[in-house]
Amino acid sequence: MPKNTIKNTILELKQVTKIYEGKVIHRALNRLDFEAEEGEFIAIMGPSGSGKTTFLNIISTIDMPTYGQVVIDGIEPESLNGNELALFRRRNFGFVFQDINLLHMLTVEENIVLPLTLDGLPVSEMKRRVARLSDQLTLNEILNRRPDELSGGQAQRTAVGRALIHKPKLILADEPTGNLDSKSAKEVLELLGHINQTERATIIMVTHDPIAASYCDRVLFIKDGEFFNEIYKDERRQTFFQRILNVLSLLGGNVNDLRTM
Amino acid sequence: MTFRQFAYRNVVRNRRIYAAFFMASVFSVMVFFLYSMLLFHPSIEGGALRDIALLGMGVAELILYIFTTFFLFYSMRAFLQARTKEFGILLHLGMEKRQLHRLIFIETILIGAGSIGVGTFLGYMFSKFFFMVVKRIVLLPALPLYFSWEPFALTVGAFLSLFIIISLVAPVFIRTDGLDELIRGEGSGQKTEGFSKIRGILGLILLGLSYTLASLTSNNIVIGLIFLLPPLATLGTYFFFTDSLPFLLDLFKGRKELYWRHFRLLAISEGVIRLKENARMFFIVTIVSTIAFMSVGILASLTSFASQYREVNPLGLVYVSYPGDIMEERNINRLRDELRRNGLEYTYVEFPVLKQLSSFTEFTVSIVKLSTINQLSVAFGNEALQLKEGEALFLPPTSSTFEQLNSQNVETVLEESGVSVRVNGAFPYQLFPAHAIGTNAIILNDADFEQIASFVKSPSFVYHAFDIPDWQKTKNIGLTIENSMAKSILEGTTHELNYSFDNPGRNYSIIRTTFTLLLFIGLLLAGVFLLAAGSFIYFRLYTSLDSDRKQFDVLRRMGITDREFKKIVNRQLIPQFFVPWGVALLHSSFAFLTLQVIWDALAEISIVRELVFVLSGFTILQVIYFYLIRWRYLAHIRTSG
Repeated sequence: MPKNTIKNTILELKQVTKIYEGKVIHRALNRLDFEAEEGEFIAIMGPSGSGKTTFLNIISTIDMPTYGQVVIDGIEPESLNGNELALFRRRNFGFVFQDINLLHMLTVEENIVLPLTLDGLPVSEMKRRVARLSDQLTLNEILNRRPDELSGGQAQRTAVGRALIHKPKLILADEPTGNLDSKSAKEVLELLGHINQTERATIIMVTHDPIAASYCDRVLFIKDGEFFNEIYKDERRQTFFQRILNVLSLLGGNVNDLRTM
Repeated sequence: MTFRQFAYRNVVRNRRIYAAFFMASVFSVMVFFLYSMLLFHPSIEGGALRDIALLGMGVAELILYIFTTFFLFYSMRAFLQARTKEFGILLHLGMEKRQLHRLIFIETILIGAGSIGVGTFLGYMFSKFFFMVVKRIVLLPALPLYFSWEPFALTVGAFLSLFIIISLVAPVFIRTDGLDELIRGEGSGQKTEGFSKIRGILGLILLGLSYTLASLTSNNIVIGLIFLLPPLATLGTYFFFTDSLPFLLDLFKGRKELYWRHFRLLAISEGVIRLKENARMFFIVTIVSTIAFMSVGILASLTSFASQYREVNPLGLVYVSYPGDIMEERNINRLRDELRRNGLEYTYVEFPVLKQLSSFTEFTVSIVKLSTINQLSVAFGNEALQLKEGEALFLPPTSSTFEQLNSQNVETVLEESGVSVRVNGAFPYQLFPAHAIGTNAIILNDADFEQIASFVKSPSFVYHAFDIPDWQKTKNIGLTIENSMAKSILEGTTHELNYSFDNPGRNYSIIRTTFTLLLFIGLLLAGVFLLAAGSFIYFRLYTSLDSDRKQFDVLRRMGITDREFKKIVNRQLIPQFFVPWGVALLHSSFAFLTLQVIWDALAEISIVRELVFVLSGFTILQVIYFYLIRWRYLAHIRTSG
């Protein structure tokens, strides 16, 4: 059950199908329907090759579906040209990647403000936002460090900061804990949960990790590009985690499939 | 798959990476081969001009060889760095270090042999064309295409040994310790800010000082400066790239209102990294470009000297006969005869020149007759002038002295003969080479002149002037006279020589061809430099292509439009291409300011036009090269994976 009773759909996929033509024709997604409400924290799970990445790429408008319709905040990305699309991504999305992908020549602070500089916001406004975020993300101490001087958790928190700074409608996270140790992973997941609570930010997270998924409100399972199951969280994270594991085992014994590629 | 096949496939399948390296090597080999073809040409022997040509080619070969050595070393290192990951995997799979070295050796020899083969082949193909160009410039008899083992042996020997040495030494550059580090490759170990504020400021001061000195230079100190400025500016340039620029950029980064604007954040931070990695390369490129600009500029200015030669030497032939010249009549008749036989029109005027002491200046003054001057002047297309008895005109020794002499009005007595004249104004046309008649010369009315002539009996010297409209065609006139002059110079009997002969047309053709030849050699060398400098940058880009690609992917997801991306790439590439270039331009401009002082003192000519021409030519080439490389770079970076 969605937390807010007033339905406010931010993302809608209808019968989305993606076919890769090549030497071998590959159907990555098949007639997939999906909706996300504003303020939801959703995990997408599935075994390797199930189409999770394609799914995320289509939502993030990097890739277009072969058939079907995508509507993001009332706009169909397919109707936009390349330029408009780039600007659309820039304004509406925040990305968190598995391999973090901070720009190595920028400091933590500069990495965070990067999306704002592209849109030419006044510097005073940038400074104000960084100050607020760095409190929330506990990055105050390390604002002037370079990415190669950070621990994994610090780096990913910086990346979360970069994804949040321009107040996007949708945060798309691709295995955000995939390269982190369990302590840093917990840190980042709690942070995402906290942001989801306080900022009412909508987060869609692709993950292999049932622990990571158990932080979400809802988990969507896909298999071979098709809808497989969907479960909502309950009172206790422990039982939710158990239920996720159960679905995963139904998915085809790929519970231990924690590989990332 | 044998080991050798593996090495071969490595090269062939990596051809994109090797392309720029290969191209630059081929070009060096080709130019080297062309020079050697000329050096060993069987029909070139003897003659001062040919000596100069051969010397020029020889020096060019040497420079080219030294430069190619540096270039190959540097690019080889960049290459191996780019492939550290690959080597890491190979070592991880259990390849011995010895085998790895052999792999690199075989690869390098493959590329070397390939570029030597292609280079000499292209060189041989182009040599006929090259000979034609040289023939036109040097005015040698037609050079036939020949086949001889020497140029091939020299080129192949020189470059093969070079490639062998490099392939043996290059593996030393690979760090074979720390396997995991190798596999992770470049990019993980970026050093943080490492510049010294003091050296940064010192660099700026050194450059500022050099520029100030260069622009304030005057005749008296110029020689000292020529020795002082180059090391000063070189050191300044080095610090400028290693410390001053990072220092300035760091100051800029401190000002967030300026730094956090649009693409500046990305472009400048990236620029700082690139600068740090490549400071030494930028330094080398700057110095090499400066030298290239300078040499071509100097040569071009020499050519400009040649083109202003006519103004300085308005006469076609000059024969000056001093008292006691028994050959006078024979030589003059011979010259007239040769001119006629060559079908050259001419006006011949004979100037007896008298000398008298002027009471006004207490100096000797040379005197020529108005009617002879008018005769020559009319041949030049000027109007004849009139002088009354007792009137005289200054004959300015150079065109620049006309203004000053023209405003003078002097009464003087020519003391030996007692003739008094009033010298009012100067003769307005430049008929003679500078100082031909003497630094202090006047023109007298015929009657006055005859009066002095009858008094002094014989003239001090007789100036035989030939005005020849087709003055550039006289290079075969008066050879016998020149030979006997050359002979007496060799025998040390010049004091017995009672005449002098000057053939500006012939001199001009020698000067002109020498300079154009040197210019041609210089341009070819500069071409090699240009190509190499660009390749350096290309290699550098290539080494960081992987991480750049990844960055591009992040930015694309974050929503950077194609145009914005191009802008960012521009802002990263343009400084790499044009900052060394700009500094080199600035360096050479100031250097030419100094040189202009020397030129002014020497020949009163301006080299500005030639310089603008040369420098803008180079800039256009560089812009083209920039677009070429940017196109390749963008193509590489967009093909992800």
